[in-house]
Amino acid sequence: MDGGPEPDTNTGTVKVEGRSPGQLMWIRFKRDRTGVISAFVVAFFFLVAAAAPLISKLYGKDPYTIYADVRPELFDSAGVPVQPNGGISSEFWFGLEPGNGYDVFTKLIYGIRTSLMISLAVTVAVVLTGILLGVTAGYLGGKTDFFIGRLIDFLLAFPSQLFFIASMPVVVSLFVSPRDQTPTYVRVVALIAVQWVLGWMSLARILRGTTLALREREFIEAAKVSGASPWRIIRREILPNVVTPLLVQTTYTLPYLVTGEAGLSFLGVGIVEPTPDWGQMFSKASTELVLQNDITYMFFPGVSMVVFIVAFNLLGDSVRDAFDPKTAR
Amino acid sequence: MSRGGRRTYAALSIFAAGALVLSGCSKGGSNASDNNKKDQQNAKRQQASIKFGGAADSTGPAAAVPGAKTGGTLEVLQRDSYAHLDPGQIYVSDEGSLATLIHRGLTGYKATNNKGSGHEVVGDLATDSGTTTDGGKTWKYTLKDGIKFSDGTPITSADFRQTFERLFASFINQGPTYLQQWMADTNGADYRKLLPDGPYKGKHLPNSILETPDSKTVIFHFKTPHPDLPYALAMAGYAVVSKKGDTKEKYDKAPVTTGPYKIQSFKSGKSMVLVKNPNWDPKTDPIRNQYVDQMDFSFNVQYEDSTKALLADTGADQTGISFNNSVDAGNISAVLGGDAAVKARTVAGYQPYVGQININQSHAALQDKTVREAIAYALPITPIIRAFGGSSAAEVAGGYISPTVSGYDASFDPWGKKKNPGGDAAKAKALLKKAGKLGLKLTYGYQNTPEGQQYSTAIAAALKNAGFNVQRQDIPAETYYDQVGKIDNNYDIYASAWGADWPSASTVIPPLFDGRAIADGSPNYSHVNDAKVNADIDAANKISDPVKSAAAWEKIDQYLVKDVINAVPTIDYKQVQIAGSKVGGLVYDDVIGGIDPRRLYIK
Repeated sequence: MDGGPEPDTNTGTVKVEGRSPGQLMWIRFKRDRTGVISAFVVAFFFLVAAAAPLISKLYGKDPYTIYADVRPELFDSAGVPVQPNGGISSEFWFGLEPGNGYDVFTKLIYGIRTSLMISLAVTVAVVLTGILLGVTAGYLGGKTDFFIGRLIDFLLAFPSQLFFIASMPVVVSLFVSPRDQTPTYVRVVALIAVQWVLGWMSLARILRGTTLALREREFIEAAKVSGASPWRIIRREILPNVVTPLLVQTTYTLPYLVTGEAGLSFLGVGIVEPTPDWGQMFSKASTELVLQNDITYMFFPGVSMVVFIVAFNLLGDSVRDAFDPKTAR
Repeated sequence: MSRGGRRTYAALSIFAAGALVLSGCSKGGSNASDNNKKDQQNAKRQQASIKFGGAADSTGPAAAVPGAKTGGTLEVLQRDSYAHLDPGQIYVSDEGSLATLIHRGLTGYKATNNKGSGHEVVGDLATDSGTTTDGGKTWKYTLKDGIKFSDGTPITSADFRQTFERLFASFINQGPTYLQQWMADTNGADYRKLLPDGPYKGKHLPNSILETPDSKTVIFHFKTPHPDLPYALAMAGYAVVSKKGDTKEKYDKAPVTTGPYKIQSFKSGKSMVLVKNPNWDPKTDPIRNQYVDQMDFSFNVQYEDSTKALLADTGADQTGISFNNSVDAGNISAVLGGDAAVKARTVAGYQPYVGQININQSHAALQDKTVREAIAYALPITPIIRAFGGSSAAEVAGGYISPTVSGYDASFDPWGKKKNPGGDAAKAKALLKKAGKLGLKLTYGYQNTPEGQQYSTAIAAALKNAGFNVQRQDIPAETYYDQVGKIDNNYDIYASAWGADWPSASTVIPPLFDGRAIADGSPNYSHVNDAKVNADIDAANKISDPVKSAAAWEKIDQYLVKDVINAVPTIDYKQVQIAGSKVGGLVYDDVIGGIDPRRLYIK
């Protein structure tokens, strides 16, 4: 699994040219059509998430307006859109949400934004923690390795989903005065913190293993002999060699965290109404009111999430293949 | 009776990716067609005051239900298991429905037509609804001949002495307390001092309070007039208890019954079987019929499940019913929208509950009347109606008195909610500006249920539009009423609901708005203490003519809503119920607030 230089056996070209491992990876990735398409899909989602306020401004609606009160003629008394297919029209592209009547299009793009922002933040935190603790444990070994290893075992043994559900209200209530509403950022920070604390272990463990193997290699020995400091060895010798597992692992972690965050919101402990959120839309879609009267509602959040997760996983596969063609197919 | 504390929610359902394929199209609207007019008619009949019947009205047997046949087994699907079977402990509505089949008291409500609308209070075990010669201070009841418990022992006045004396024992703590308070002439829980251990340690109520001169006569002596006694005695909580069979606490699981059915088996939380009571004599009972041979109850059946089972109408569910489960909000359209044959299997009507949003009078900022007026104008009712399932589950309330209570005034609508249920943000904002309180912080405590989350966000948005700084706070559903019932709570506004115990506002206005009864856990959730209201309550309680007293209560109601503004009435609760295709005699009874179990038969 090391990303060291390899002979370029794929091309039987005449002209011999020096290429860095990164360039080789890029060339291989560009040849993988699935990977490229997936990358575009994923990029599109991130673009939509980033530009959500702009899009909704151009579209002229926001995800907080309660259209059931603002435009009562579009709904029956139970808050179900009167128009067929969940009120899809030229005015409301993706229809209206049964209940309070939020605009589904803006709610979805803002929901994607919330979910992706949280997951991205968790991913960054998880990767940094994983590198720090994993590489440290692997390189230093001994007591440090033992303690970090046991900490990893301990946290891995935690029933994380249950822990999320139990700890979210506690974490939230720590920060909020009883006369005030829980601000959305507190929930966001709590979600990030809880997922971060219980999310870094698998990456750290992989990096520890890789580092452990690298530590015994000759070029590290050589660096040690020539008097390089441990910090320099980690930074200049080990880190560039763990980029492959790091990138691959990260591309798998992000979609996993997106579904995890959606799951928490689905269960009602993550982001709550009226803040838009992907997972919360599923929980709305699973209510009897929607199931019986407006099944179309589930279509947009459902399809978009499936497309996103599939695309991201395919992208992860392609990244792995590009880095490491020997294990592919 | 307060509402909502015991609801449980099973909100988790699994998102199946496969369902996506199916989610192509859906037609618009939820099809909940308007039952309003019919419901209003149903309720109007109720406002016509209920008559107190004499000896002729109180003679059995009950009028036969047209087309009724005997025999068969009825399947009863219920959400909540019965926590109490001891009459003295019965207060909640589902146990009340059961009590109509197994327990009998001195008086009861007799249906005067086959539509569940007309009622009169008649003697049940007594020969009439009670006679008084001094405006309600002394009431005399004579027992009928041939009345027996299900174990065959005759019912005598000694059993009634036991029934009423044991209400003072400490283990009777869930039932109504009207009669005890009237006997002891006190408010609150002080009545227990009259007979601290009940009849169990040899002490008894003196003849100056409860007199049983012979085995057939029961006489009540009150210090103040209580013209409502025939109503009160019709509550399941005052049904007769066998002196011989009184096992104190254990009576709650295995009572000696008197109604047309007796309990064959009861597994708490699972099932119950009722069979015919051979010692019930139809000639003594002007109220109940006994058509079905057996009733099999299953518990823990959620609203969705009972609705779907009865809607599917296959197998045992064809003879299935639920006494208290409503059609759930999501399925109302499927039930009312399509098939006429399905719609024919439903009944609809008002529940006795009226919702309100309380404005906490203990908080200084809310003592400014202009601010409260602003809240009243701004508050939208539509989100609440939406959350409970639309117009067949709730409608805008004008005052605190429900359409099922005499004195209800349908035209009363001081805040224009019936015309404009979305609220009037502009007017509210102007008022708030006038009071100089723009941006006032309002902490809104809401019940953390799917409904509560949905309507509270919309209400908060509307109040925000009107210039308030709304802070929503979720309160766990299980402890909601405990939290908002505390005098020193953190919330400025919070919802509650209350239902009349009998069709008179004397069971609504005094418990909710008598300022002298403010205490932790008291239903005076807004902590209103208005001298004029307190005085008017005392005056209204003394009126013995039912029509005049109804008018007096409605006047207090209107004064509270319009001038005190301690709360804003929100919705009158309604419900739709469904039964299997082979169940006959289906009627929505206004007094029970649901399907009438006493007249059901199998087709």
